Amino acid sequence: MDDFEQELRRALERRLAPLSLKRKVMERRRWRRMQLHGHAALWQRLAASLLLVAVLGGAWKWRQAEEERRRGEAAREQVLTALRITSHALDEVNSRLAAHDRAGQE
Amino acid sequence: MAVCAQAQTSPLPLPPPVEKALAARASHVTEVTLGKNMLTFASKFMNGKNKDESATSRLIQGLDGIYVREYQFDKPGEYSMEETEQLRKYFETSEWSPLVREHARKSGETTDVMVKLVNGETHGMFILSAEPKELTIVLILGPIRMEDLGKLKGLGGLGALGDVEKNTGDKDKEKEKAKKGGTQ
Repeated sequence: MDDFEQELRRALERRLAPLSLKRKVMERRRWRRMQLHGHAALWQRLAASLLLVAVLGGAWKWRQAEEERRRGEAAREQVLTALRITSHALDEVNSRLAAHDRAGQE
Repeated sequence: MAVCAQAQTSPLPLPPPVEKALAARASHVTEVTLGKNMLTFASKFMNGKNKDESATSRLIQGLDGIYVREYQFDKPGEYSMEETEQLRKYFETSEWSPLVREHARKSGETTDVMVKLVNGETHGMFILSAEPKELTIVLILGPIRMEDLGKLKGLGGLGALGDVEKNTGDKDKEKEKAKKGGTQ
């Protein structure tokens, strides 16, 4: 038996796995699983936060726009009231001038 | 006393004691004070599809302010002629020209329309309409485009400003004719 055969036999000899191997493999598997889950949870939290910020931002924007619209409507009403009073006053002026004219012609 | 509308707290550019005294005695007060910023803001909210509002939007965009005070009194004689005279005098400057000045002694009604002319263009209008139980003060500052006023059909009398000018213009022409006829 030459050296090569001896070396081969030694290499192929059945040996028991160390006792800690199973525990190590299981630990490693658990660790990898935790890593994966941890990343997913982080992403989920980030997505939820972004969604919350977007919803809150949208609500704030909507409220601002609504407030602006309400103030604009009020201002528009004020303008129309002012012009209505002006219009009424000018109508009065016109009718007085017309009456004055009629009286002058008579 | 009820205050109907007040868009801004900036005061009417009129003698404040008169304004306060009138408001204190009136049974109903309508106050509208709109500065340049508020008018620009309001013009954005005018309905572009409505002809009146579209014309109103164009009209108010260039204005510097609209100040309206309407005082209603329970009985006649709650404001004095001195008070209206004070208001009138405030505008008796070279900038303002009277367009209409009418005083009916019997009824005690007075009407004043004054315009501020800058290079032949109307840059302000003051209306003082006094009836025994009602006093209306309107002050519009800024360039007023008569063609836009004429388009305000829905707002009845505003288009009538053109008629007021026409009426007073016709009267002047008649006077001139009479003068010419008299000299011939």
